[in-house]
Amino acid sequence: MRIAAVIPAYNEGKRVGNVVEEAKKFVDYVIVVDDGSTDDTADIAKHSGAIVLRHIENCGAGAATMTGIDAARELGVDAIVTLDADEQHSPDDIPALLEPIKADTADIAFANRFGQRNNIPFIRRLANGIGNLITFAATGKWVKDSQCGFKVFGPKAVAQVDLRMSGYEFCTEIVREAAQHRWRTAEIPAKVLYSEYTLAKGQSFANGIRTALKILLRSFLR
Amino acid sequence: MEFTAYQIITPLAGFIAIAYAWNLVFRQKKTIWEAILWTVFWGSIIAIAVYPESLDYLSKFTGIKDRENAVLVTTLAVVLFIVFYLIVRIEALEQRQTRVIRKLALKDLDNQSGKN
Repeated sequence: MRIAAVIPAYNEGKRVGNVVEEAKKFVDYVIVVDDGSTDDTADIAKHSGAIVLRHIENCGAGAATMTGIDAARELGVDAIVTLDADEQHSPDDIPALLEPIKADTADIAFANRFGQRNNIPFIRRLANGIGNLITFAATGKWVKDSQCGFKVFGPKAVAQVDLRMSGYEFCTEIVREAAQHRWRTAEIPAKVLYSEYTLAKGQSFANGIRTALKILLRSFLR
Repeated sequence: MEFTAYQIITPLAGFIAIAYAWNLVFRQKKTIWEAILWTVFWGSIIAIAVYPESLDYLSKFTGIKDRENAVLVTTLAVVLFIVFYLIVRIEALEQRQTRVIRKLALKDLDNQSGKN
């Protein structure tokens, strides 16, 4: 099975190198999509051995992820791992997420940061709970950690996934895709490594509201 | 029970919208959940058209009884519709811009794919 890791990155020059190095151990290709960064994200990712694609303007995590997925498809891979560039996800969890895909018991595997003992601040748990509820309202499908960027797409999902949402709403759109195409899903407990940096980088409340409105608007307009 | 033209045309339009939504489900372009939401939305409009007295409680609740209030509410509805339309157009433009940027990024792939 040929596997690619897709890492959307925006101004992650200090962290993306480590993520690429670690992810390389488990996959055949690492694709970093530099989403209009103003720092040296692209150069560092390239030196670490990733295929680097650059958005000339910042489009959002969803658009960057879809660019990476399109690139992986052109490379003819069978499975795609998506993970964040800020060292929040541990690439050591990739084999566990790949397991149901390799065993052909799931078409998509969602990482579940709440499935094991992780030190997650209350405000993060609350925000993710709200995200789960909005995702359920828009898609009718319940996923325990719908807003986590760490996922593995199996062959069927690789062929069918088509994300149109550019920003953080793309996580909800992936759940919608799973419901629409009736993908078999698996939810695998995974580590989350919060640092001061990743906690500070999180979405603001206003941004969360905007994301929620976009999700509801888009699901109504389809 | 006599029906006005409005009470005939609105349910017809509603049924067409609901049928179209379920048609999209069968063509796998809409999820069942979205079709249910769409059905509830248009079902409410049909119900209000056929049984307008169901809105009596709204009149009591909002106090919209006279012509001036009705004009004000209608104007607000028109303005909200224009805002909604503009949001949809901006979304469409954003998506078009994103597609262009993504296509430009993918052009680099051929030069690099042999490196990994």
